[in-house]
Amino acid sequence: MQLVLKNIDPDYISDTSYSDIWNKEITVTKGEHVHIIAPSGSGKTSLIHFIYGLRTDYKGSIVHDGKNIKNLRAEKKATVRQNSMSIIFQDLRLFDDHTALENIEVKRKLNPFHPPEMIYEMATRMGVANKLPQVIKTCSYGEQQRIAIIRSLMQPFDFLLLDEPFSHLDEENRTKAMELLLEECEKRKAAMIFADLKELDMLKNEKILYL
Amino acid sequence: MGLSSKNITPFIHPEKTWSKWIGYAGLTIGILLLLVSVQMFLNIRVLLKEEAPRKSGAFDYVSISKVITNQNMGSDNRFSPNDIQLLKNQPEITGVAPLYSNQFRATASAGNILPFSTDLFLESINPAFLDTLPKDFQWQPGKVDVPVIFSSEFLEMYNVFAPSQGLPQLSPRTISSVNIFLQCSGTRGSQNFRASIIGLTDRVNSILVPQSFLQWANQEFSGDSSTLVSRVYLKTVDANNPVLLKFLDDHGYYINKDKVRFGRIKGLLQNITGAIASLGVLMIILALIFFGFYLRLKIARSRENIKLLIALGYSPGWLSGVFSKSFLPVYLALILICLGITEVFQFLFSHLSFAQETVGPYIHWIVLATAGVLLIVTMLINRIMVRSEIRQL
Repeated sequence: MQLVLKNIDPDYISDTSYSDIWNKEITVTKGEHVHIIAPSGSGKTSLIHFIYGLRTDYKGSIVHDGKNIKNLRAEKKATVRQNSMSIIFQDLRLFDDHTALENIEVKRKLNPFHPPEMIYEMATRMGVANKLPQVIKTCSYGEQQRIAIIRSLMQPFDFLLLDEPFSHLDEENRTKAMELLLEECEKRKAAMIFADLKELDMLKNEKILYL
Repeated sequence: MGLSSKNITPFIHPEKTWSKWIGYAGLTIGILLLLVSVQMFLNIRVLLKEEAPRKSGAFDYVSISKVITNQNMGSDNRFSPNDIQLLKNQPEITGVAPLYSNQFRATASAGNILPFSTDLFLESINPAFLDTLPKDFQWQPGKVDVPVIFSSEFLEMYNVFAPSQGLPQLSPRTISSVNIFLQCSGTRGSQNFRASIIGLTDRVNSILVPQSFLQWANQEFSGDSSTLVSRVYLKTVDANNPVLLKFLDDHGYYINKDKVRFGRIKGLLQNITGAIASLGVLMIILALIFFGFYLRLKIARSRENIKLLIALGYSPGWLSGVFSKSFLPVYLALILICLGITEVFQFLFSHLSFAQETVGPYIHWIVLATAGVLLIVTMLINRIMVRSEIRQL
């Protein structure tokens, strides 16, 4: 399965000539690791949202499994998000008034890839097992980030979209999280699209693109 | 998607707001008004026997006769063929049926069971004017059995004086089993018949025999084949039409006012139930509008959560379904409560003195069907509203 970005040109960026992505054709195949590097404000989050089908204010097309994401109807988008694409939002997008466990379960039940026990296992590895019964808004941002990472791994996917997923994690937690993400992508033979401000030394055989 | 709505209900804002309660209250009152008025409409139909196929509710049937005054007492006050033709020519009059009467002496006795004997009059009318027309209301020359349709008012009058005369009172059912010996005699001879009452009429105050019998008997016993009649029945759209009343007054005809009043009351009652039903429909529409406000508010309050659920991969169609289905138990409960109240109402109504015999204690299936249709319609409107709200997110 492939994800093809064809000449994407956001409506609000005037000069796209220095970019490896804007107005170019890029193909991401299952199993690949793509690292998108860009400074703040250069359109990382927009690109991730374009791919995930949240925004459509761009020219060009993003073709997932032969279909243009832009033209998918809401129900089809839901199917893609349940089966083929998972995401860690930069702004996390957790249900503030619900517990960490509820936040993960609401995703897991939609299309379970793992049994419920796996939540505790992952939370233990990430050092947030004791936070599971806690209401999200009372958790620190770093803890919330780790909950969002676990949530994204509860479903089957072919492409995992990561938008600055480690911004509030220390070096040790970053390594733990990266190991978990790589393992889970390996289980699914999935591609990882990792957007961040700077280069990371944790990715393996990655394709580096400057936005 | 093997998902249960329980997964997401915690993420939908539980909204406690006055518009919800106004919506519920309005819906209950509206549904109740509608169901009760449908049931009342059916009750009135049964009570006024409109369900009988012979009665066409759009018409009034009234009898007219010439006004008897001191001046015209001695002269012939019967309707001539010319009079009848003139009546037929009136645009307000849809149909005219003269009431022919016997020109011979008729005596009835009821044998040993009812020691009762009386002279009586027999009349006949065009069967199309009858509200009850049993199949065997026919007679051919040579037959000894004569079918009779009796005025229900006469039966009532009989039941009033029967006890004082040592006679048994009769119900509409038992009267049909009484054998009446009918003796017809005139200048040209006499003959005995067996008469039986096969039907009661509310419309014609008379003792009616088939037209074929009366024509034959008038000819047979008195040699009379005259076409003069003293009473004429009119079929008209509105017996209270001023043009018609003026015409009848001008010609010195007397109209039976009671029948007209009865018709007016029937119309009035049906208009009232119709108005109540319309009020019910209006209430339901208003309640659904209030419900729309409530839904919009509820969805607006849960807006961020619903958007996030969709972003996580929940299908908007499925979410709308869950959302609208969450109201099904409430709607169902409301409608069941209203049906219950309607049933209590009907039970009490059926025990009222004037309704005891004719109105059943249970609600009509049409009321149940109306409730079913209401449930489907409210759920459908609900679903459409939710879907359009979620689509706009």
